[in-house]
Amino acid sequence: MYIIVSGGGNVGYGIALELQRLPDYEVTIVELSASRANALRDELGEMVLHGDGSEIAFLEGVGASRADLVIALTADDGANLVTAQVARHWFKVPRVIARVNDPRNEPLFRKLGVDSIVSASGAVMAQIEATLPEHTLIPLMALESAGLQIVTMRVQEGAEVAGQNLRDLQFPSGVLITIVIGPEGAEAPSGDTVLRPGHEIIAVVPRDAEDTLRAMVTAPLPTGDAP
Amino acid sequence: MRVIIMGCGRVGAGLAQRLQREGHDVTVLDPDAFAFRRLLSEFAGRRLQGSGTDDRMLVEAGIERADVFIAVASGDNRNILASQKAKEIYGVKRVVTRVKDPLRAELFARLGLQTFSPTKVGIGLAHDAVLRPAANTEGTR
Repeated sequence: MYIIVSGGGNVGYGIALELQRLPDYEVTIVELSASRANALRDELGEMVLHGDGSEIAFLEGVGASRADLVIALTADDGANLVTAQVARHWFKVPRVIARVNDPRNEPLFRKLGVDSIVSASGAVMAQIEATLPEHTLIPLMALESAGLQIVTMRVQEGAEVAGQNLRDLQFPSGVLITIVIGPEGAEAPSGDTVLRPGHEIIAVVPRDAEDTLRAMVTAPLPTGDAP
Repeated sequence: MRVIIMGCGRVGAGLAQRLQREGHDVTVLDPDAFAFRRLLSEFAGRRLQGSGTDDRMLVEAGIERADVFIAVASGDNRNILASQKAKEIYGVKRVVTRVKDPLRAELFARLGLQTFSPTKVGIGLAHDAVLRPAANTEGTR
């Protein structure tokens, strides 16, 4: 698996650090600033190259045509959008991920067929939301081409799904419950899996099923004359 | 025609003045107010300080009603981003994009933008000046 990361800022550096630990992964980081590239090189070595990740001639030199994945993570939306399209249409890279810095650019990235969009502000919002108890469903990642999202949900006390077998629950169509995390850790769910309050669920869901699912894992609001 | 020009460098300013003289409704966008010094005082179009990749500025410049969007800012990637936005998001019919890198100009032309590469044109002129000097009868042009 060969991965090219464009942008050696904090995000690019963090990702590269994670990826290079995995066996059989070959990672190249492309960084535009010479001083930043040198600093990264001191720590990460040969995998760091000084260059412009939106420049076709340069990408050819780093073997973009054999890349399995290109991730554009610079702080410049223009560069990320161009890198993504160059990777996809010039080098036929099968999978392309791009970071959007200005949330107003998201519709454009989506329209131009980037596989996945990483929105910094979206990620920060998700973190903030995760700390708010009333937010029981948090989108983790958008799978743009399929109109799907990966979400995490937390089951609340008194929610519709609490205490139920997965088999007995009527989820909206297209919902795939992938992992259930309880006190004993993560498990691949079966029909017998019982959802308990506090359980965390990772699921792949169609975009339009989000609201229904949120309602299912959230305790209903007290009605009328609650104390 | 209602024309928005992104970038008030030499090309942007010269083009703005020419189109405005020809009777078109021209708005020039540049994040650097100092760039507007290149426009003659007789220029009767609109000078708007702001970035052509910023949706708020594009809307203020009238992108929703524009007939033409021309991106001639200094960076290729910014020109491409703004042009794709004008075309795909705001539905501007005629979008022209300067892309200095000939390879990128070729790719984005294939992807539907009307691009031109001054680098490619310059290479052609210099090449011909060396190898076919007779063709260049005007001297400098």
